[in-house]
Amino acid sequence: MRFLQSSRLLTVLLAAAGAWSLTAIDWNGPWLHTGGAASFLRFLLALFPPDLSADFLLIALTASGQTLAYAVAGMTVAILIGVPLGIIASGVAFTPGSRLRRPSVAATRFLLGGMRAVHELVWAVLFVAAIGLSPLAAIFALGLPYAGILGRIYADLLQDVPPEPIAALRTTGASPLRLFSYGYWPMALPDLIGYTFYRLECAIRAAAIMSFVGIPGLGYQIQLSLHDLLFDQVWTLLLFLVAIIVAVDLWSSRIRRSLLS
Amino acid sequence: MSDAAGAPPPLVATDGVSKAYAGAPAPALAPLSIAVAPGEIVALAGPSGSGKTTLLNLLAGIIQPDAGQVAIAGRPLSQLRSGRELSELVGLIHQQYDLVPHLPVIHNVLAGRLGQWGLLRSVASLVWPQERQTALAVLAQMGIADKINERTSHLSGGEQQRVAIARLMVQSPRLILADEPVASLDPARADEMLSLLTALASASGKTLIVSLHSPHLIRQYCTRVIGLNRGRLEFDVPTSAATADLLDRLYDLEQLPPEVIV
Ligand SMILES: Nc1ncnc2c1ncn2[C@@H]1O[C@H](COP(=O)(O)OP(=O)(O)O)[C@@H](O)[C@H]1O
Ligand SMILES: [Mg+2]
Repeated sequence: MRFLQSSRLLTVLLAAAGAWSLTAIDWNGPWLHTGGAASFLRFLLALFPPDLSADFLLIALTASGQTLAYAVAGMTVAILIGVPLGIIASGVAFTPGSRLRRPSVAATRFLLGGMRAVHELVWAVLFVAAIGLSPLAAIFALGLPYAGILGRIYADLLQDVPPEPIAALRTTGASPLRLFSYGYWPMALPDLIGYTFYRLECAIRAAAIMSFVGIPGLGYQIQLSLHDLLFDQVWTLLLFLVAIIVAVDLWSSRIRRSLLS
Repeated sequence: MSDAAGAPPPLVATDGVSKAYAGAPAPALAPLSIAVAPGEIVALAGPSGSGKTTLLNLLAGIIQPDAGQVAIAGRPLSQLRSGRELSELVGLIHQQYDLVPHLPVIHNVLAGRLGQWGLLRSVASLVWPQERQTALAVLAQMGIADKINERTSHLSGGEQQRVAIARLMVQSPRLILADEPVASLDPARADEMLSLLTALASASGKTLIVSLHSPHLIRQYCTRVIGLNRGRLEFDVPTSAATADLLDRLYDLEQLPPEVIV
């Protein structure tokens, strides 16, 4: 982050890339392919009503459970890797003059960057190629990039803790690790948890997509129903996905509230 | 530094310490030499920006002087090897912001022990508080024993100040520094706070240096007053000699450049 701050150049480059991307659009051609409007309308109308038969609800429920399980397993891997790497990358647990600090921070920031530079679907392809179609491949494909994201944000949140209480703790003679456990960690914790929950929502979405590399779950069912043009079933599955996300959101705000009060 | 007459060696001595912040037009503290004897209760007076916080932070070893040195109990701060040694000599309490708001009161109080405890014990204490009786005793002295398990952010400003003092008591340094401890309190609370702080200091033979603005509080609670203006020593007198006129003039001298606030 810090090495980007000074660079006005980057802003210019990104703006230029954005402008250039507009030229890639064929402004004169039709916006929808022939029959596109009709299928889109058919898809929309299938919402009234979605497929609510007991049989299909059971399928949707099972698929939701599977997607949730993959998301939670992937997030667990991500947290287990992201917390220690994030702490090292924040640099706050080092003695101020330590020679280890700079290289350790730089190396972990680089590692975290590498993990999140690669999208989870690409990780999935790599893992499937390496260990075959297995739940483990999906979990690590999700866990690694998410660890990269979590570690990076954890490091930033730890660095953004208010400095005054830390300075006061330091005058009690506390060493860096004690400063960390009495100052940085408790002060950053509500934000760390809030962000982790937000990422759990993203992981649920990603786990659903992950089905396209062969693991069971909502995405796999959506694929099957789409293939058979059963749009009312697709809607049911989408509604389940929305329901899980909303439930996680409610849960996380409840936990955050109890942490803050 | 003790003279031949056998006067007690000073607890705090600064020897031409000065400090200028990068980018600031004028030094925050011009070379300053003062000595404070054990047990003295010294007021530090001066308008905003006169260098009070800078001096206290130098004495606390939080910032390093550009020149000169600070010695506490005869030991130059620059030669102390660990935070632990420093924490036995000097403790600092601020006007605000000095507690971790998310922790229960007991951990903020026991944080005064972090210089003494090993890492494992410190971390274990967050789960099974160590020396709970110590914390309870000092909180009782502060009149807030019932708040021991409360989340610190739930306490009123005055109660948080007491928690900060309780932490200082647990740390028990020989020199106590207080940076505008009553700046945000109403007169009654300010009075209460200073009587707690000074009673604590004299009861345990500690030395106290406190930045204060009110002439009334300075005369009531301190034995000596040091006046600073624009980083320079204006006067250094026993409070008996600190006339209202002398103190008023310190604040009238105030002709600060417009960018200096607080
Ligand atoms: N961190 C800092 N960086 C730059 N200038 C500072 C900093 N802290 C204080 N100063 C400046 O140093 C001078 C003394 O400030 P300070 O010691 O805080 O005075 P006081 O506590 O008496 O209000 C002021 O002019 C202030 O603006
Ligand atoms: Mg100040």
